[in-house]
Amino acid sequence: MKKVACDERPGWRSYAESVGFEFHTFDGEAYWDETAYYQFNLRQIEQDLEEPTEELHQMALALVDDIIRDEEKLQQLAIPEKFWDFVADSWRTKAPSLYGRLDLVYDGTGPAKLLELNYDTPTSLFETGFFQWVWLEDQIMRGKVPQGADQFNSLQDQLEAAFAELPLANPLYFASVANSIEDKGTVMYLMDIAKQAGLDSRFIELEQLGEASGQLVDLDGYAIGGLFKLYPWEFMVQEDFASVILSSQTQWLEPGWKMLLSNKGILPLLWQKHQGHPNLLESHFEQPGQSFGAGWVRKPLFSREGANVELVTQSGEKISEPGPYADSPFIRQKLQQLPKFGDSYTMIGSWVVGNSAAGIGIREDNSLITKDSSRFLPHIILD
Amino acid sequence: MKQKVLKRSKKAALVLMVPTATFLMAGCGQEEAVQTAAFETVDQCAAYFNPEQCRADLGQALTMHTQVAPKYTDKAACETDFGVGQCETPAQAAAAAGTEPPAQAQASSGGFFMPMMMGFLAGQMLNRSGGQLKQPVQAQPLYKSRDDRSTFRTATNTPVARGVGPTYIKPSSVQPKAAGTVNRGGFGAQAAKRSSSTKSFGG
Repeated sequence: MKKVACDERPGWRSYAESVGFEFHTFDGEAYWDETAYYQFNLRQIEQDLEEPTEELHQMALALVDDIIRDEEKLQQLAIPEKFWDFVADSWRTKAPSLYGRLDLVYDGTGPAKLLELNYDTPTSLFETGFFQWVWLEDQIMRGKVPQGADQFNSLQDQLEAAFAELPLANPLYFASVANSIEDKGTVMYLMDIAKQAGLDSRFIELEQLGEASGQLVDLDGYAIGGLFKLYPWEFMVQEDFASVILSSQTQWLEPGWKMLLSNKGILPLLWQKHQGHPNLLESHFEQPGQSFGAGWVRKPLFSREGANVELVTQSGEKISEPGPYADSPFIRQKLQQLPKFGDSYTMIGSWVVGNSAAGIGIREDNSLITKDSSRFLPHIILD
Repeated sequence: MKQKVLKRSKKAALVLMVPTATFLMAGCGQEEAVQTAAFETVDQCAAYFNPEQCRADLGQALTMHTQVAPKYTDKAACETDFGVGQCETPAQAAAAAGTEPPAQAQASSGGFFMPMMMGFLAGQMLNRSGGQLKQPVQAQPLYKSRDDRSTFRTATNTPVARGVGPTYIKPSSVQPKAAGTVNRGGFGAQAAKRSSSTKSFGG
């Protein structure tokens, strides 16, 4: 694994905008960054990333069974009691799931370590599945990347197959919040793939979702048979329509049981069950009054994009990211510093579609905490 | 020569996100009819489909019945459309189905009337070609109007079948529509509350 400087494609920004990738630059800072790429060999991809991704995924799925039978665990994960049956039923009836992303620390050697599971509302999907794929084709054609280069990125193929094969409602609605172009972009990409798979995909702003006689309805009052929502379960269960989740016949994507796996509390539960596993970091639920020392990270059960994460490095330096998620319990995770390439700390997002690993997207930040604004860089495989 | 297996997608194409492609697609989006079926009982349904799924479809239709059936404040007006003795209150419907009426219906059922459910549409396809079962049509209650006792109609008065058995329909024509007041804005409050410091509610 190494970082290789590379010429940008001329005019890539206007191309990005022409395909709906409007958030390639954010607040004047690059989000999509093609001034360099990461290079892996096939062994690193297959043995160090792909295999552990699928193994960790199976370990996480196996935990769902344990959690839905155990009130103590449901409480540790701060799942509202009113939704315990909903979550358990969604698991027992095998409610289908589309995708998820595992965030990993990996520097090219040794086992990748799991930082967390983004199993409810993962983003950076378009960047991974489409834009970095096109980047590779373009750069091979222009001779900027070696001819035989490949990429660990079957995301779009696998998503299309999933939309075609899963027992999903049709029409299938897609919702994201009104004021996020990033979330809208992710949802548009999924709608696009769903359409290519033969589904009637329809967008509705999350705030416009309606309720009539307990059913979730669209703008015309039609019942919504299936809804992909790029909006966290932990928000939905405490909003005005929380009871509609229980009364509506709607098929949800991601399904209710993903509430358990997108929760940071899954990390201590994984550790309890598989202590010492090479791909896991030691993790515990935070105890009241517990001191917070060097070599540990503190994360809320519910948080996104690095928000409200703090850590103390081995040398005692304290780094923290503010955020709006301070209102849930916290976990502690042993610090595994992100590897540094040049001036940047690098994290790997590893995708799962169904139960298969489906590719990676790389994020870089100037700080040890990866966040919303962290740059996205493409990668290649070359042996 | 052995073909190298690539780790990347064979294609990455867009149809909706690219304006020109969307333009070219216009007119090609003819919706195909699918073959499903209308039934009065689980036994009729079981001749075509898995009995367990038939029971689930009937259960869903019964649940939706009070939610989607056309509502009348006046029994006579309901009977004008659906025939004498063919209308009921939500409480009667629930008693007949052996279920609890939904809370909203209870609260607002100051004596409104709706047609009795005469059958149900199966949420399953007959002409599926292998692979896993898809559900392009939602199982739902069916009704019959006063002047046409042979035709099954949806709650929004779309005729779907002449009698029990298989029928071809376009899925979009039988999307169940809720009758009654629609409330909106029940999701999104947490995002509004936390929006100052984040631009995404994904991750």
